[in-house]
Amino acid sequence: MVNLPTDRRQFLAASAGGALAALLPSSLLHAQPNAGKTLTIVLPSNPITIDPINQLNHDAMVLGQTVFENLVEFDVDGVLKPQLAKALPTISADKKTYTFELRDDVTFHNGKKMTAEDVKYSFDYLLDANNKALRRPLFTKIAKVTVLDPLKVQVDLSEPYGQWLYFLTKYMGIFPAGSRKEHGDDYFKSKPVGIGTGFGMFEEWKPNDSISFKKNPNYWRKGLPAWDRLVVKMIPEDATRVAYLLTNQVDIISAPPAREFNRLKTMPGITGASRPTLGGALLMFTNNLKPPLDDLNFRKALSCAIDRKTIGDKVYYGLLDPAAVLAPPRGWWFNDEADKELGFDLDRAKEFLAKSKYPTGAEIDISIQAEPYLLDTKDAAIFLQAQLAKIGVKINLKVYEFSVLIQQIARGEHQMAMQVFMSPGEATYIIANTVMPGQFLSKSTGYDNPELSALMAASFLETEEAKLKDLYGKMQTIMARDAPIGVLGFVHASNLWRQGVQDFKVNQALTMSVGEVKV
Amino acid sequence: MLRLVAGRIVSSIGTLLFVGFALFAMTRAGPGSPARIVLGADATAAQLAQFEQANGLDRPFLAQYGAWLSDILRGDFGRSFVTGRDVGTEIVNALPVTLSIVLFAFAIAVVFGVGIGIAAALRPGGVFDRVSRLLSVVGLSVPAFWLGIVLIRFVAVDLRWLPPGGYAPLSAGLGAHLQTILMPAVSLAVYYIAVLARMTQASLQDTLRGDYVRTARAMGLSSPRVVVYALINALPPVINLAALSFGYMFGWALIIEQVFNVPGLSRALLNAISQRDFLLLQGIVFLFTIIFVLANLTADLVNRVLDPRQRVAA
Repeated sequence: MVNLPTDRRQFLAASAGGALAALLPSSLLHAQPNAGKTLTIVLPSNPITIDPINQLNHDAMVLGQTVFENLVEFDVDGVLKPQLAKALPTISADKKTYTFELRDDVTFHNGKKMTAEDVKYSFDYLLDANNKALRRPLFTKIAKVTVLDPLKVQVDLSEPYGQWLYFLTKYMGIFPAGSRKEHGDDYFKSKPVGIGTGFGMFEEWKPNDSISFKKNPNYWRKGLPAWDRLVVKMIPEDATRVAYLLTNQVDIISAPPAREFNRLKTMPGITGASRPTLGGALLMFTNNLKPPLDDLNFRKALSCAIDRKTIGDKVYYGLLDPAAVLAPPRGWWFNDEADKELGFDLDRAKEFLAKSKYPTGAEIDISIQAEPYLLDTKDAAIFLQAQLAKIGVKINLKVYEFSVLIQQIARGEHQMAMQVFMSPGEATYIIANTVMPGQFLSKSTGYDNPELSALMAASFLETEEAKLKDLYGKMQTIMARDAPIGVLGFVHASNLWRQGVQDFKVNQALTMSVGEVKV
Repeated sequence: MLRLVAGRIVSSIGTLLFVGFALFAMTRAGPGSPARIVLGADATAAQLAQFEQANGLDRPFLAQYGAWLSDILRGDFGRSFVTGRDVGTEIVNALPVTLSIVLFAFAIAVVFGVGIGIAAALRPGGVFDRVSRLLSVVGLSVPAFWLGIVLIRFVAVDLRWLPPGGYAPLSAGLGAHLQTILMPAVSLAVYYIAVLARMTQASLQDTLRGDYVRTARAMGLSSPRVVVYALINALPPVINLAALSFGYMFGWALIIEQVFNVPGLSRALLNAISQRDFLLLQGIVFLFTIIFVLANLTADLVNRVLDPRQRVAA
């Protein structure tokens, strides 16, 4: 028999409880799982634009890569493959003319067929300085784009520069002729409807919440995508991002917290993987023009005093591949000998310090970024403090926001700065930008070596891997000799996803690749 | 009374003008340029200069301030030069989200805080008094963001009763709406429940010790009626505190919205700070200031209605 409340207090309490329970909908008791053929992925930051020619955030590039495509693709494994072109281009003997045959089955989201005119228009727009495209400087060696026939296009370079193909996936896209003038830049930035050829068609941008795309039913790769809708959510808080995954609210997350990654990937219902990026380096920008870093032996002493393996294993839980030179250890162009020259050896570090102008050590300010990007550099900086103290070098940590830090580095106002630098993953990008003159981060090191510049120019002439490996190897040897910049290693890209997600592969270039994913 | 209201409105406008100027000066004085955020690390000096010129950031400080103020007076908050979106529209879209969480949290704080405070004051040493003490310690010492993470961990991840975050508007149904605002509102309210409970308890106990209360009881007034009279006299400091709490809640919502991934004003403000989105930042902080000033104005007016001495003094 049920005991009913007998006194007034009990009765009031029971009535209030009952009323409250009646108000609560049944859905309140069970969070709604992600259902149907919607793929929901999560970014750790708030994107500013979808437009690939103005994109600067590598995580957010998934947006542009969903809508736009390129002649060739630098894929998740770091392999160059044809995309809107039928095959990789034919390259002239002087390495200055590239000819592309276009696919004849590609249509834009507005139904218009893609032709060579669209390709020419897209490049012409990018290269016109008046259009102020952020990524234009990467492609300025393109002198002219010519339409040979409706499905054949020729790109002429002012000088040999094979690397430009590797930058297309991240920083370029093909859009319909006349579309920029018709719609304006804001349209490409925040509501690019009908102007791409990609597997996803823009649907809606909810500020500070999510951006959604629907399946392109006429996508030229038949059968793809396998989902009907793609939702890209923005969740900056690590714990919340993980909670969304654990409660099946989302399917894939990027930038899982490094400390938790190994535990989370073994949880029931969760799969996780990481792989080293070819272009994400944890760098120490050593200002060669400011004492004590103006001393070669002092710089080498610093490099040899750092136990990179411990940083990779213990500080970043295996999510950093240790390297002392500007080349990823898993890259085909990595020079092991050069790496050893600057690798961890405390005795050599002390020898270099003794030979320097600062034999008893020195004090250095190191600028680090307040907001973690891929890895929290504060963790490595604290470890570095302890490591360098062993050779008598005192490190003072100075923490700045990204926008402040990057200006400081670009102007050469820092003494030493530590930051994760993300690049497309080909061999020359980081070197060209940090240790060559006339680039946006040249003052980060203040280093200028004609010998290195000559080798770089020679590498632009080559397309064969064996010859390039030799040239890149020599460049690393020079940098090991002069130690113009400190390198701690190359970061891993990592993702966690629900077990129901199939055919997802972690991208060596960091950006999530979702075109072939099945839910 | 009208003179009083007019006087308070004039002083509130003065406050808003001062805050607006200080806000404008502080956003411009901070290091970091929106140009670098928008154009990225690879941008050249020429690209940065072009951006600043196009967005009027290269103009003198007072010229920029004058233009902003005159736009604000016309109800035009401007267009974000980071996202390109209209700041007014962005605020209008995000305000209901934050407002629903803050109002719900405020209601929880007032109902539970004042309720527990009254119950504790009426029976010193009783159950509610002990609950009030415990709540004070817990509420004042547990950070809201930590409580939020704990709630997500247990209520959302382990028990699966509520979603871990996000926001469903009222138009999606009361159930869905409550699902998304319950945990953020509770996290936000716990501190203020403790504060309001302690203040109500102290103020009411003090009032109940007054001579006129003893006289009222001696004259044979019923106990509930005595409590009601005492409560009216005990409420002014509680109302002042509640008004301040309402304003402060918008500040704390900054962290709560981040933890619960709620696309409200505070989330937009945080993005505006990190992206140096000056116009959005100024617009949101200015709105928070207006809310704060209005809450205090309302508290003053309510207190004058409740307390005849204040009307006489005015």
